[in-house]
Amino acid sequence: MAKLVLSSGGSVLYQCFLDKDRVGIGRESHNQVVVDDAAVNGEHAAIFQVGNDHVLEDLHSTNGTFVNGGRVLRHILQHGDVIEFGALYLRYLNPRATSEIDLERTMLVAGLYASGDDARHARGSLAAEVRVPSARAARIRFPRGRVSAIAGSRAGKTIELDRVVALFGKSGDQLAVVTRRPHGYFITHVEGLRFPRVNHQSIGRGSRMLNSGDVFEVADEKLEFVLD
Amino acid sequence: MIPSLRTQWNGPLRYFQLRFRKFRTMAHHFLEVVSVTDAGRVRQYNEDSIAIDRNKGVMALADGMGGHRAGEIASNMATEIILSSLRANVAKFGSRASDLSPMRAVDQSINRANKAVYEAAKTQSTYRGMGTTLVVALFHDNRVALGHIGDSRIYRLRGEVLELLTRDDSLLRDQVELGLISAADASASHNRSLVTRALGIDKNAAAHVREEDASPGDLFLLCSDGLNDVVEDTDIELIVRALKTNLPLAAHHLIQAATDNGGYDNVSVILAKVVKPFPATKRSRWLSRLFGWIR
Repeated sequence: MAKLVLSSGGSVLYQCFLDKDRVGIGRESHNQVVVDDAAVNGEHAAIFQVGNDHVLEDLHSTNGTFVNGGRVLRHILQHGDVIEFGALYLRYLNPRATSEIDLERTMLVAGLYASGDDARHARGSLAAEVRVPSARAARIRFPRGRVSAIAGSRAGKTIELDRVVALFGKSGDQLAVVTRRPHGYFITHVEGLRFPRVNHQSIGRGSRMLNSGDVFEVADEKLEFVLD
Repeated sequence: MIPSLRTQWNGPLRYFQLRFRKFRTMAHHFLEVVSVTDAGRVRQYNEDSIAIDRNKGVMALADGMGGHRAGEIASNMATEIILSSLRANVAKFGSRASDLSPMRAVDQSINRANKAVYEAAKTQSTYRGMGTTLVVALFHDNRVALGHIGDSRIYRLRGEVLELLTRDDSLLRDQVELGLISAADASASHNRSLVTRALGIDKNAAAHVREEDASPGDLFLLCSDGLNDVVEDTDIELIVRALKTNLPLAAHHLIQAATDNGGYDNVSVILAKVVKPFPATKRSRWLSRLFGWIR
């Protein structure tokens, strides 16, 4: 369960579990977390639970709410976050709320719409106007590579390989794809009767890892691969 | 270092041979369909299920939930029931004896699957609480009827643009849509696994059903959240756009991108490309119009 730890100068003053839908933070004694500091408002901030998240909200405080050194109005708390109030630190501890993608199994919860509202969306017209982005990338590092075109329509140009795939060759004639993966770049045949050539050798139907300095040919393009 | 890279690269290849189901494109068929499902790098079991009948233009994908591998049962049950129900109904479209439309057929098949999963969960203690997300596509008469419940998705690539055709039944989507958190903040949320609707949980399914037209060149993607939870829409778009002339390679790349970005969840994709127009035969089309008009 999520926990808040209030500390000052390295000593723990107070700790509590976040087991309510709303936990108030401020100088006044009716708050769940009382922060006795002149720079803190009577009702300074609150933490709301929504699903698996704890969301910290600033309640229009005079001096603002800071998390890990940055000012926030609303912030989804992550394990280890430090909320600062002058000389006092409030640390949020919840091993399940790491920025790594969670391994929670799918669960059913109530939606936020009143049932009537949702029924309005239930049929027909609604495509998604709102995009929910994918999860923040975990600590996955991708290599940085590029190709310089030696011959073909892009001769003399340098093409950064900074996306998951990049196409080379000519559609309808011969196409190959260069794929960026965590452990390197790979070239694969996509379409056409001829296979791509790497250092003058056909790669066939399979994939081949590219090493820095490799020269590959697809349709009328000839390119040199360079890895940082 | 090289040998370890080899092993990593052999993994997907081996799996490619074992688990890839390619439906050979016959020149006369209007659809080219490829599907892949993978347990991912972390989970022990694959609770996703896929069922396809390309000749009838039917496909379903489900992502099960529930303990003790019950999710596997739920998703498998749902896709199989959808498939058999729609298979049996395809012949009825536009016939004299029935006024069944593709959209109603999809709705009916989902209700049937819902009832079966719901009953099984109620009667068998090991299945208690099981349920599943579901996406269904039924191609008929130059159109496609789409059914959807939970957080699995259907996209359509038309020209250069990938469009999301479904709206996730998820807490996170509600939060973003109601402005409770910004779309940018949503990537830091831990509510990704929380769905607000699923099949087999309630007596009535309350699925979303809609119809879209399907033109030659359109590429439909059905996927479980194991894909879009870790691969951005812009990257999904880039992959399917670049590799649409080689569907097995496109499907393989989608799964690989999910694995490379963590592979925390089961991931499944179905790619269906409309190769040529598929109007219903003249007689039944005329009749179906008539019936549609009367109704």
